[in-house]
Amino acid sequence: MPRGEYLLEVRSEEIPARMLEPGVRELATRVFEELMARNLAPREVETGYAPRRLVLVLTGLPEREPDREEQVLGPPVRAAYTADGTPTQALSGFAKRCGVAPGELSRVQTDKGEYLAAIKKTAGKPTAEVLADLVPRTLAGISWAKTMRWGSGEGPWVRPVHGVVSLLDGAVVPFTFFGVAAGDTAHGHPILSPAPFRVTGAEAYRRELGRHAIEVRPAERRRLLADSMRQRAESLGGKLVDDPALLDKLAAICEIPGVLEGRFDEAFLELPAEVLATSLRDHQSALTVEGPTGGLLPCFLTVMDRPDDPKGRARSGNEWVVAARLADARFFYGEDRKAGLARRAEQLHRLAFHERLGSYADKSERLAALAAAICDELGWTAEREAAVTAARLLKVDLATEMVKEFTSLQGIMGGIYAREEGQPEAVWQAIYDQYLPATTEDRIPRGRAGLVAGLADRLDTLVGIFGLGLIPTGSKDPFGLRRAAQGVVRIALEGGLDLNLEQVAVEAAKLYGDRLTRGAEQILDDLRPFLHDRLRYVLGLRGYAYDEIEAALAVGVTSLPDLEARVAALHRMREEPSFLTVVQAAKRIANIVKDAAEQPLDPSLLAEPAEKDLHAAFQGLRHEVEEAAAARDYDRCLQRILDLAPVLDRFFVDVLVMAEDPKVRQNRIALLQAIGRTVSRTARLTEVVVDKAEARGKG
Amino acid sequence: MQTLQDLILRLSEFWAREGCVLQQPLDLEVGAGTMHPDTFLRVLGPEPWRVAYVQPSRRPADGRYGDNPFRLGKHLQFQVVLKPSPHDVQQLYLRSLEAIGLDLADHDLRFEEDNWEAPTLGAWGVGWQVMLDGMEITQFTYFQQAGGMELKPISAEITYGLERLTMFLSLSRSIYDMDWVEGLSYGQVRKQEENELSRYYFEVADVGFLQQQFDGMEREAGRCLEAGLVLPAYEHALKCSHVFNVLDARGAVSVTERVGLMKRVRDLAVGCARAYVESRERLGFPLLRGEGDAVALVAETAQETAQEIKNAAR
Repeated sequence: MPRGEYLLEVRSEEIPARMLEPGVRELATRVFEELMARNLAPREVETGYAPRRLVLVLTGLPEREPDREEQVLGPPVRAAYTADGTPTQALSGFAKRCGVAPGELSRVQTDKGEYLAAIKKTAGKPTAEVLADLVPRTLAGISWAKTMRWGSGEGPWVRPVHGVVSLLDGAVVPFTFFGVAAGDTAHGHPILSPAPFRVTGAEAYRRELGRHAIEVRPAERRRLLADSMRQRAESLGGKLVDDPALLDKLAAICEIPGVLEGRFDEAFLELPAEVLATSLRDHQSALTVEGPTGGLLPCFLTVMDRPDDPKGRARSGNEWVVAARLADARFFYGEDRKAGLARRAEQLHRLAFHERLGSYADKSERLAALAAAICDELGWTAEREAAVTAARLLKVDLATEMVKEFTSLQGIMGGIYAREEGQPEAVWQAIYDQYLPATTEDRIPRGRAGLVAGLADRLDTLVGIFGLGLIPTGSKDPFGLRRAAQGVVRIALEGGLDLNLEQVAVEAAKLYGDRLTRGAEQILDDLRPFLHDRLRYVLGLRGYAYDEIEAALAVGVTSLPDLEARVAALHRMREEPSFLTVVQAAKRIANIVKDAAEQPLDPSLLAEPAEKDLHAAFQGLRHEVEEAAAARDYDRCLQRILDLAPVLDRFFVDVLVMAEDPKVRQNRIALLQAIGRTVSRTARLTEVVVDKAEARGKG
Repeated sequence: MQTLQDLILRLSEFWAREGCVLQQPLDLEVGAGTMHPDTFLRVLGPEPWRVAYVQPSRRPADGRYGDNPFRLGKHLQFQVVLKPSPHDVQQLYLRSLEAIGLDLADHDLRFEEDNWEAPTLGAWGVGWQVMLDGMEITQFTYFQQAGGMELKPISAEITYGLERLTMFLSLSRSIYDMDWVEGLSYGQVRKQEENELSRYYFEVADVGFLQQQFDGMEREAGRCLEAGLVLPAYEHALKCSHVFNVLDARGAVSVTERVGLMKRVRDLAVGCARAYVESRERLGFPLLRGEGDAVALVAETAQETAQEIKNAAR
């Protein structure tokens, strides 16, 4: 009884870790989709991979494609028979082509009249035949991040191919792939178990790989690694410092998930923990272990592509490399401290920030000036000195030996060196935290100097690159400007920086002198929507609805904390019963006044009670609304506007704005214009989406 | 105890047996074995080629006055080029490790992605760094492009870092302590040189003189190309490249100059690469007439490849 099980293993030279998962996923998806389109969908699809093999197992495949019947139209009936009823040439020719007698044809009615038709039967192909064509074609079509050629020009593929196992219910589904014939022979680990073995099916394949300690399921490899690393860390008397991204990588660079444990000289613990962890991670792909009192233990854990290390060679080798690396790091640390940040700063003119925007020395000068301007704008006089010092030193660590070696320590290293040189906490923390937030989970920089320096750095970059017209499009963002813009937004919002970012951007553009190819206005035209996009995203993450954000944005942005105060007030006020009335009134007002020029209001022309009441109510709260807005008490501001709801409602019921007398009409429009301005003091309420169901429920 | 000298002898012997021409180091300052004309130029065009040699490689900016136990301004590479890359090239490489005395069953060996790119040579390749017990001992590269031209056939380049490998096999604590040959340490042979070269590159080199040299060498390379002398032109391009590296280590290359100087070196290298292919074509790609499997394999596509390369050169 055939199980409909197909096993595919492609064995190649080592495929880069980062490409394995997407490659296998694409293979499985494409094979599945095409099988489904041909009515050959398998019941289950399983995938696996290791650096040297891609695995696909399909189960529950039908034996063959279903047979297909399709109707083929022949000649029209009127052209099919001669006057005496014998078939014409056209009819007998058609019948012959279809392989049936003229009498077996049926008649069908179409738009164009009655036709003769035949049923054409196509036998479905056996699944094996479909796979033999589909699989090599799909394999060759995988869109790897980078491909190569080899030998006399074979390829392109991700790496040279060495073997293919292709079995449907134990029988080889034959094809060739880059000159390699598919068969039933697999290989184990190239050094530990290189002998080939024959495979009969997926189960036997798994069993045989198990005998060779090979695990092709990446999730299982990762689990095994993580579990045994945690155990090792515990038996060392500490706790594994978790690093999920590194564990993913480790699970993708081995076929056999063996854990390697090593130690290093305790003397290296004098290095900052950041340096130890980075050196171990970047150079040795190793995780660290935290001791019970918080500091690191002098040991590390990484992977080896073998189950054990009986002669200890893998361990002694890794320990030797780690010792060499840490000695190197200690050397850099010593050299950098000997030189001091002041001397490193002299080297910044040799480091290009951007070929058209000058060096990091130029950038440092700009940052110092921009930080000063930001502090002045905010009135942060006490923090000014620290912020300017931090801004000037911000990029100095790019010239240190340590950061040249470990780029991921940029910022952190500068902060550590500044601390060791006795810079005040505000300064060294500002340097240390300058790249925060790098991800959505990251916190913003500590302290006011940190906020100012972080903001200055990002705005300088954004304005500089936008000033050259290099605006990110689609997925292309080589300077990481989206991340920079998001940093600006989060620092300004969460740091409570009450300042006009556009003014700061203009200042930043000024500091570039004549390096930019575009003027400040032109830059702002592109930068404003770019920042607003990130702002929408960040506010969305904070739980505000998109129409609330749009409504607040629509009346302009003076500072981000002010904007958020308006969004937040709107968000809270939305639950008020009278809110809907005001929104609907605002929409009505907007409709009425939309094409009208500004009109002066003449209270003496107000005649009807409802409009008089409205005017009186409006006069009474207009001032209060302005006052509340000036005090940023947008809740009160909106609340006062909600108080207008009943009067507004009555006005629209009782009063015809479009009165016949043009004077009366214009005066009523003038009243609505004035009210419209006040109603929109917090947000343009017309942007608020009124759900029909919501309107019915509350109306 | 494994010495540096043993390692050179064993690798030479192994690769000579695999049909490599045992070449000698290029007698010019270069940054890597790849720049030796027997790699950079020979990987171009359709002719098969197998070569192995030691190449002293200078990276002036990496010099540490002989003080750092792990870093050198001049180190030794053992370079192997196999063109076209044989199907079992990884196996061959594993056997070369066994030939230098490693029992691989006792070690952890991994091939981790590491692609190679040399913008000044208009060259890039795809491959790995080979990690032995956590130590990078070899760069393994399938050349894809050189001199701005697509390559066919593809060459495999295997570059062993000799100091690292020796140090690692003997688990020495310092480059300078390991044996060059029994009874004579690496430090005794090279430490003075490392120290003086560092002082020269970082402190003494005359910037004005070097800048003149760069201009002069570049001119001379151009004159050689005009005279149809590819190899002398390439040698002068290499000299430019080295002078650039010294200027860089000396701190005499500004941000804006850097881009321009690198482009000038690249233009020379690309010009030489194209001229080399043309010169080999004029000679009728003489190595294609040899015997052997590799040659036969390549010969089939020789004409086609030559045409493609000519097209690419235009």
